[in-house]
Amino acid sequence: MTIRIASMVAVSVACVCVAPFIGESLDGDEARFILVSLRIPRVVLAILVGGTLGLVGACYQTVLANPLATPSTVGTTGGATLGALIAIMSGASSPVSGVPLTTLAAFAGALFVTMIITSIASTGRARTADILLAGIAISLALAAASTGFQFFSDNRDLAAGVRWSLGDLSQIDYDELFILLPFLVPTALILLYQTRALEALVTGEQRAHSQGVDVGYVRSLTLGIGALGVGACVALCGPIAFVGLIVPHLVRLSMGASRRILLPMSFVFGAAFLALCDAVARVSAPHSELPVGVVTAAIGAPALTWLVVRSSRAVN
Amino acid sequence: MTDALELSSVTVRAGSSVLLDEVSLRLDRGQFIALVGPNGAGKSLLIRTALGLLRPVSGEVTLAGRPVRALSGRQRAARLAWLPQEALPEDPLRSVEVVTAARFRFDEPLAESRRAAGVALAAVKAEKLSERLVSTLSGGERQRVALAATLTQEAPLLLLDEPANHLDPVQQMAMYQLIGSLWQEGHGVLCVTHDVNLLGHLAAGDALEQCQVVGLAAGKIRFRTSLRAAELPDRLSQLFGVRFIELRADEHSYFVVRKAPRLQ
Repeated sequence: MTIRIASMVAVSVACVCVAPFIGESLDGDEARFILVSLRIPRVVLAILVGGTLGLVGACYQTVLANPLATPSTVGTTGGATLGALIAIMSGASSPVSGVPLTTLAAFAGALFVTMIITSIASTGRARTADILLAGIAISLALAAASTGFQFFSDNRDLAAGVRWSLGDLSQIDYDELFILLPFLVPTALILLYQTRALEALVTGEQRAHSQGVDVGYVRSLTLGIGALGVGACVALCGPIAFVGLIVPHLVRLSMGASRRILLPMSFVFGAAFLALCDAVARVSAPHSELPVGVVTAAIGAPALTWLVVRSSRAVN
Repeated sequence: MTDALELSSVTVRAGSSVLLDEVSLRLDRGQFIALVGPNGAGKSLLIRTALGLLRPVSGEVTLAGRPVRALSGRQRAARLAWLPQEALPEDPLRSVEVVTAARFRFDEPLAESRRAAGVALAAVKAEKLSERLVSTLSGGERQRVALAATLTQEAPLLLLDEPANHLDPVQQMAMYQLIGSLWQEGHGVLCVTHDVNLLGHLAAGDALEQCQVVGLAAGKIRFRTSLRAAELPDRLSQLFGVRFIELRADEHSYFVVRKAPRLQ
């Protein structure tokens, strides 16, 4: 197991180190500018966002006791998307003290939806399936509202909205990275600090209660803090599909379900996965770029399917 | 100061139906209480109420003299541990990881939790299963690992819900012998079961005098008696609504259901 963890960390670090050098060859005067001002912040962003999405996905799957639970299925992403679309469509783009209005609106949307879900979850008596169903219902309603906004918007706003909703890591500079840090660092630390409680929750909520875990508190803290991190990510990069779903499953199926391994490794692997996907997105379309969400889905979905089929064969 | 778990006139309701009706019960260190009764009598519900998972509409559940719902999770877990009926999950978890997770109440480094988990697994003779995935274990092995998780909490009072469910006769006997030794070590045990005959495996004949049998039906306590009391077969007959008879072999009593006369 130690060897597996070590090799996975090594591969992840290698991916991240190679990522900035993927793309058109770096020659000439502009090389330094491209590398330092364009590609490195982009890779750092991918590490932060991918790691956060992977970690939050693993935590959500644990507290909601469901392999399909992700920030997307409980409405966090949907709330952020609707918020951002409203800001884009209404044409209000003047920044508030340096932060673009789109970002603020997305963040507010994510937090608003999570407050609803967290208030359902915090009683400790709501069943996890009910919380997830409520989240899915809210997500669908938000998606319908987003579609409605797009229907009534003009072509230019529509294009901007669609472009945003596909996820994009390319528009980033160092200032924006520094905006992200105060959200993502506490998110990761607080979630990792919950490892013991989350490990106990894996064996069942009522069992965890009897072992001394305050289930309602752990649930609402995890959902709330997770939304803070994911809200910040979505606000800056748009919704990036699949990372929060696929990464924890890849780690679980290859290294076991113990949260002591699953949580940190979901961060590490999520970071490497998104950095690599973004590099692929950068070079896959000539004179242009693919949205990174397309690449994460194209690589992640077959990989997950293959792993699930393989592991179900091993058990039977 | 006492460690006892005490239910005083506890009533639990769901809507208009009464699930527990004025139930009073006291469990202290060194006591063994077998809770028997038909399906749906409220046995598991009584345990979940004792753990503070359900809120009674009237009456009080206290643990070590304080209302159980006023205790912090860790304070409660230090005094009261539970072996639920629900099976362990199918997630790819190793036995030692499941048992280690149950050490949540201790503020200690991971290595210490691992060591204690190893001790608990050895206590239930499951040390060889330590590195195995729980999903690959047999029913009997899985139940032993679950019991190790309960024990590693190091609580003086144990609530065991059908500990021999789904086990073959040999495993059932081994499980009850193990529970008997926990009782002899001084644990207070509340054990839910359908089968009073399994209680005979707990200890040698005379010690069974101290084993209390409490009958629960439709949320009400119907009787309290000793496992060795002469009235037990009649009490069981009333409780389950079928005729129990006592058979004796090797100076030990066995209670079986008499075949009903065939209706013409």
